Amino acid sequence: MKIYNSYILIVALLLLLTTVILVATGQNSLDIYYTIYIIEALIVTELYVYFNAKARRGLNLVSAILFGGFLFIASLQVIKILA
Amino acid sequence: MLNKNPYTWAGLGLLVAGSLVSLSSYFILLLTWLTALGISMLILSFILLALGRTIPKLPPEVSALLLETGIDNIASLVEELRISSKAIYLPSSLTSGRPQALIPLHSNPSLPTKIKALPQRLIVRYGASPDDTGLLLSTTGTTAVGMLESRPGPTSEELESALTSLFMGILGVASGTRVVTTENHIKVEIYNPRIENKTTWFHQCLGGPLASIVASVAAEAWDRPVTIKQEEHLRGRCSIELEVLG
Repeated sequence: MKIYNSYILIVALLLLLTTVILVATGQNSLDIYYTIYIIEALIVTELYVYFNAKARRGLNLVSAILFGGFLFIASLQVIKILA
Repeated sequence: MLNKNPYTWAGLGLLVAGSLVSLSSYFILLLTWLTALGISMLILSFILLALGRTIPKLPPEVSALLLETGIDNIASLVEELRISSKAIYLPSSLTSGRPQALIPLHSNPSLPTKIKALPQRLIVRYGASPDDTGLLLSTTGTTAVGMLESRPGPTSEELESALTSLFMGILGVASGTRVVTTENHIKVEIYNPRIENKTTWFHQCLGGPLASIVASVAAEAWDRPVTIKQEEHLRGRCSIELEVLG
């Protein structure tokens, strides 16, 4: 499945590149790392429009889980600001 | 139940490694960047596990075995009957529910301009003349059209999207397609096809597997009969020209 391989390769390269860039810029917040990771993963997933229906369903579930993690981090930040 | 394939194994490996890396670096080593790297491994593992579930359990070799057996039987039938006419790919509205190929039995047939809905039989009569008899066969395109999520529309863009989705996303046999439609001609280019082209009698009659799929999808999209006018395999590209009848 060439399309799966290219998708995984692009996501892996993007995540690795992001880590390198954020480390180089001295970023020390785990929230920033995670937020950028999931934004990238969601964008790449949306760009791969030619996945079959089963793969799309599976990736939608992964996206929902990752987005849930993002909402959790966002809500923690909101609580921290309000407190 | 997990479908054991390289994607699943890689996903499980990354899940374990990512958990170990992120937990140990967060709680013991207190390194943010290493924790982030562990999290990225976990994200990749979720993706791999999700994709691993979609890989068919049947090995490709078994699928090839079944496909070749079926094709060999149809090829024997076509060659034995010495049929030399080109197949007419019919949309599902003209057959009983799914797109099929009609091969006129008589040689040098004048292509029928109007084909009525045909019954689900091997030998069918498609016109008023006694010569208007043909074989109604299921092809690779018949099954491939069923894999599409919805019936494609008749425009070039819709047809191109359906073919790219089929060849690239579902079957994984090409890297893209391009469709140009002019009046009643459809020209399709398939980039980097990974199916070999054979020049047997059967393939001259029905077209190659890719052409058969393209013709079936086009017939379904236009809701009209379609024939393969030309099929050309160049380096890294397959050009198919279709004519829409009726």
